[in-house]
Amino acid sequence: MGRLILLAEDDEDNRDLVEFVVMRGNLDIELLIAENGKQAVNLAVERNPELILMDMQMPVMDGYQAVAFLKGNETTRHIPIIAFTAQAKPEDKQRTREVGCAEHYTKPMDPEELLGLIKKYLDQSVRSSV
Amino acid sequence: MLFKTKNTARAELPSTEPSANKEKAKACLREADKALKDLNFQAARNALGRAKELDPANPYLFAFEDRINHFEEEEQKKQAARRPFALPLQETIPQSESLPKTVNAEPTTPPPKRVEPRAPLPSQAPPVIEPFASTPRDVPKAANGFIAPPPIQEHVQPPPLKQRKTPEPARTEGPSSAPASAEVSTVLEDMRRQIEELSRSLEQEKKAREEISERQLQSAVKQFRVELEKAWVNGAPKEPEEDRLHQLASSLGISAEVEQSLTREVKLDMYSRAVKEMVSKRKLLRSSSSTLEWLRKVYRVSVAEYLENESKFLLDLVADQYKGTLLLVTEDEQMRKDLAGRLKAMGYAVVHAQAPEAALEKIEKVNPNLILCEKDFSNGSLSGLKFLNLLRVNPKFNFIPFVFFCRAADLSQLQSSELRPNEGIVQKPVDVDALNSVMNEKLNYFREYISSLA
Repeated sequence: MGRLILLAEDDEDNRDLVEFVVMRGNLDIELLIAENGKQAVNLAVERNPELILMDMQMPVMDGYQAVAFLKGNETTRHIPIIAFTAQAKPEDKQRTREVGCAEHYTKPMDPEELLGLIKKYLDQSVRSSV
Repeated sequence: MLFKTKNTARAELPSTEPSANKEKAKACLREADKALKDLNFQAARNALGRAKELDPANPYLFAFEDRINHFEEEEQKKQAARRPFALPLQETIPQSESLPKTVNAEPTTPPPKRVEPRAPLPSQAPPVIEPFASTPRDVPKAANGFIAPPPIQEHVQPPPLKQRKTPEPARTEGPSSAPASAEVSTVLEDMRRQIEELSRSLEQEKKAREEISERQLQSAVKQFRVELEKAWVNGAPKEPEEDRLHQLASSLGISAEVEQSLTREVKLDMYSRAVKEMVSKRKLLRSSSSTLEWLRKVYRVSVAEYLENESKFLLDLVADQYKGTLLLVTEDEQMRKDLAGRLKAMGYAVVHAQAPEAALEKIEKVNPNLILCEKDFSNGSLSGLKFLNLLRVNPKFNFIPFVFFCRAADLSQLQSSELRPNEGIVQKPVDVDALNSVMNEKLNYFREYISSLA
């Protein structure tokens, strides 16, 4: 059983790409997939992943709402969340930080960069649990 | 002393026999002497016996008898020394069975001076190998249809000694030598045929064994390749997985060289697939080149390996990217060249026509998925609009997507011509991205239309 990561992304191509990259990252990861914010919240509460990659523009419940909910919840507050978005303006980055995201990652992605980011937060998770 | 006494005693016997008998006895003794010189002991004894009857008092009788015994004994010793292996053969093959009667009358081993010159032998010396029991027909077939080869020993085992024939044409004399020679030829011919059959049988065995081992190897390779593909699908496997694969290869009887070759083959194949998948999502990637470089590392493809197989990777990329056939109708040669190259690189097959008339001729053969056409043509050719109207009235072609190339000044005219959903306009000079976007839109419409028919 690999280490649990939740990806919340409504675009199928992006989901496939993240999955493609993560599976080849040699990080022994199990990827949970949510297609909107609501699913992401439910899965996070239920499975308690070590890291969440959150697209900020999604139907049903957007990323900002989902992050706000997760950071307000006692059981999911500790989970680091990476905002995974195409919005790259400084004010967008500021907003994601304010809502509680640990990182702002701008699409389009770079596989090595994304894997490096994931590895960084998984390592932090190990250290904090020790 | 004893001899002297005996001889003296006999000499003292009264001489009652007629002198003629004495003479005959002497002749018999001479005959016996001659026979003895010829080592014909039986004839010598016979002659000695006759001399005894004729002249029992002959003083040489006992001396002759001793002499015959002595010579016979010496000859037997010589024979034993000369033919150390002859005894078993003589025991198993009675002379009366194996040799003609004329030969049988001769002594077992004639004295050297009486040996006749040997009859000329065939060029091949007659081998002592006798027919083998196993012929191709004897080779049993296994349940799987292959010839189940008997143990090799069965084929190479020498035949039993009693089956050996020892043709001795040299011993035959006179009229019997010709039939003996014929017999030898027949035997040799049989042997040659049997050797050929044996060779064929061995060849069949060899082939059957090779086929079995080849099938076994193929099956093992197939199994190993499946495992390799599973292990390499997401990049180079970790060390424990590599160890497991190596053990599997060993247990399947796959040599280290074959294992290495298969691993390399699968690695490159998996890398190529990954590249293809990545390229299809390149719009979502920040940099295609850095992504490809990352993939190269993930699959442990060295630069040398990449360069060696670059053409294969590129072919893999375009192999299943055929997007459709375009009919490009333009008299502008430069535009044709530029566009055709770009469109082909995008995965389209491009057929060119210089004018609408030529396009009408080609359309039925080509059956294009989309038509790209200029609005105007020189030299009295049909205009693009008239070409489109001709297609619209033909139920075979009226659904084919159609895109006009036109100058900015002509845009309003075309836009007012009530284009259908499967028809579009791209302004000249052509921006390939804009063209691609319009083409995709029209092709999607075309796909939906076809799906609705289904």
